[in-house]
Amino acid sequence: MGLFFAIPGVLVLAGVVAFPLLYALLLSFSSYTFLKPTLAPFVGLAHYLEAFRDPYFLNSVKLTTLYAFLTVGLSLLIGLLIAVLLFQPAPGKEFYYAVISVPMLIAPVGVALIWKMILHPELGIVTYFFSHLGLEAPDFFGDPRFALFTLALVDTWQQVSFVALVLLAGLRSLPKEPLEAALVDGASPLQRFFHVTLPLLRPVIGVVLILQTIAELRTYDLVYVLTRGGPGAATDLLAYFIYRKAFLGLDLGGASALAYLLLLLTLALVVFYYRRVFQEV
Amino acid sequence: MKVARWLLAAVLALGLAQAQVVLRALMEDVPETHIIEKLLPDFEKKTGIKVEFEVVQYGAMHDKLVSQLLAPTSAYDFLEVDFLWAGEFPAAGWLEPLEPYVKKSGFDLSPYLPSMLDLVGYYNGKLYMIPMYNYAMGLIYRTDLLADPKLKAKYLELYSKELGVPAILGDYVQTSVFMKKYAGVAGAAMQGQRGDPNFMEFSNYLFGAGGDYADKNWHVTLDSPAGVKALRLYVKNIREAAQKGALNANLDDTYREMCQGRAWSMITYWWMLPQLDDAKKCPKVAGKVKLAVMPGGHGVNGGWGWAIPHNSAHKEEAWKFIQWVESPEIVKKRALMGHAPTRRDVLTDPDVLAKYPYYAQVLEILEGAKKVPIFAYTAEMEDVIGREISLAASGQKSVEQAIKDAAKGLYGLFKKAGLVK
Repeated sequence: MGLFFAIPGVLVLAGVVAFPLLYALLLSFSSYTFLKPTLAPFVGLAHYLEAFRDPYFLNSVKLTTLYAFLTVGLSLLIGLLIAVLLFQPAPGKEFYYAVISVPMLIAPVGVALIWKMILHPELGIVTYFFSHLGLEAPDFFGDPRFALFTLALVDTWQQVSFVALVLLAGLRSLPKEPLEAALVDGASPLQRFFHVTLPLLRPVIGVVLILQTIAELRTYDLVYVLTRGGPGAATDLLAYFIYRKAFLGLDLGGASALAYLLLLLTLALVVFYYRRVFQEV
Repeated sequence: MKVARWLLAAVLALGLAQAQVVLRALMEDVPETHIIEKLLPDFEKKTGIKVEFEVVQYGAMHDKLVSQLLAPTSAYDFLEVDFLWAGEFPAAGWLEPLEPYVKKSGFDLSPYLPSMLDLVGYYNGKLYMIPMYNYAMGLIYRTDLLADPKLKAKYLELYSKELGVPAILGDYVQTSVFMKKYAGVAGAAMQGQRGDPNFMEFSNYLFGAGGDYADKNWHVTLDSPAGVKALRLYVKNIREAAQKGALNANLDDTYREMCQGRAWSMITYWWMLPQLDDAKKCPKVAGKVKLAVMPGGHGVNGGWGWAIPHNSAHKEEAWKFIQWVESPEIVKKRALMGHAPTRRDVLTDPDVLAKYPYYAQVLEILEGAKKVPIFAYTAEMEDVIGREISLAASGQKSVEQAIKDAAKGLYGLFKKAGLVK
């Protein structure tokens, strides 16, 4: 009887999750293009092998991995700091919550446009401040040495609010006894934080790490609005690479194969975090 | 009796309403569309055919069109096709060949500029489109800086020749670098962002240097000495003379740069001239800007064409509309309202020239304009070549290697499209 009631849910899941995944897998072995929209002839693993022979794809994998580590690491560090500060007793906390939540509520395209103007090499306010200090502002998006890091900082600015709020919820749900015991034992605030709070918060950090990694590996909108993958291939992240394969190269088969490779990369990182964070708890 | 009369009138009205053909088209939200919209009552009066435009931004057009062209019947009865899709649409079999319509109706193609017919007319020798609008590229420059006595003297001292409008590409880059150094402005407002912006800009340098992407048989010629020279000059200009941030700049950025009087020149679409020459929009440069042919004599051609989708339900009526909108009388009316003509007779019309004197330069630009390869993967070509240009411009790759890799990528796309073996 239980199985019977589960059927509608299973059918919906099969329709919206399993079917697209399987269809994309099928496409990845086919020669399907927008100009010749048929699955035949099947090309086997050709799209996958071609991807590994393409230096620009490998560059994208490298950049995307670096980008994910940078953004997730930074947003976790800053988010944790903000969460700890907000956890302290202080007046007018609601105001801080509202301010912290704002970036999370803006669409990524909006965030990109705001930062595009702030960091504009000639008209931006950052350039203005640099000039007042007698310094020349870096060419944030036009210099291949800075472009990826600038993109990561913009992304971090938006992601920090989500991370901080989740960690704050985690901090509030921690049991009070271990912290009180540490206080009675004479532990300093830093000792209490590093040896009691942080280990207890580990599962929440793990969840944030996994969710943020999945989100960062799929970054597309910021690249589209801010750099279009350039200068050169300095910000050519995987999701943008796959988009171009599908909609400029009209190659849905090849794009599906690349999407599966992105899925594998995501799974590998998620499994790695899962093992490191949850299985050692 | 009265009721019966009313009923008869209602039935007749209903019948007439059903008989009236309504043509629908997807149009870009630009002044050109609104100019035509204003003239539509004339067409409806003459033919009894109603025309409805669905007006959207350029970015939304391609996907909307493709989904309709793939359907059994298109919601659009005629199309405006950008030259970037002028290879993809006929190659996929989505457009109706127009020769039979031209022959049957005696439509005169001779007033159209050959460069426009080549761009948005013929594909693989067959006529699929009627040129509608042009947006070829040329040089826009500041006359006040060229006339500045101090700058003139300095230029003469340095190069032993007069400062003036450059006729060849090398002189253009030299003047641009000079302006950056001595005039306190960027020598060139450049759109170096990877993809369409830098591809379009570089293509002018390539044609200006006497190079091309491929020959008539689709053999890649991009990596010729002219191609290397073009990229070398492009890289020199973007590094030594362009505004800060040029490597990530697009068309809007270059317009702002030029409008604020922060640059001496820009290689851009000719229609940018009236925008810059508008004292309300750009008071700092209005009255001081002029248009010229791309140094070297050849710039990039761009334009739109009228077409009929293969799955249109009203092909004959759609052709009637194209005949009307491209008739000399209507094209002249459109031109006087600000349209960019593709016909020589209108570009040289005294009334049109009196209102828009720079159309003389536009005609010159169009006569020398060349097209970038138009085929099924034109959009991907922009991305592949744009990436290599950007790598060279940002110093991540040598000019020689970048042009070699760009040529290799282009060959791969021609092969994928079945144009070469």
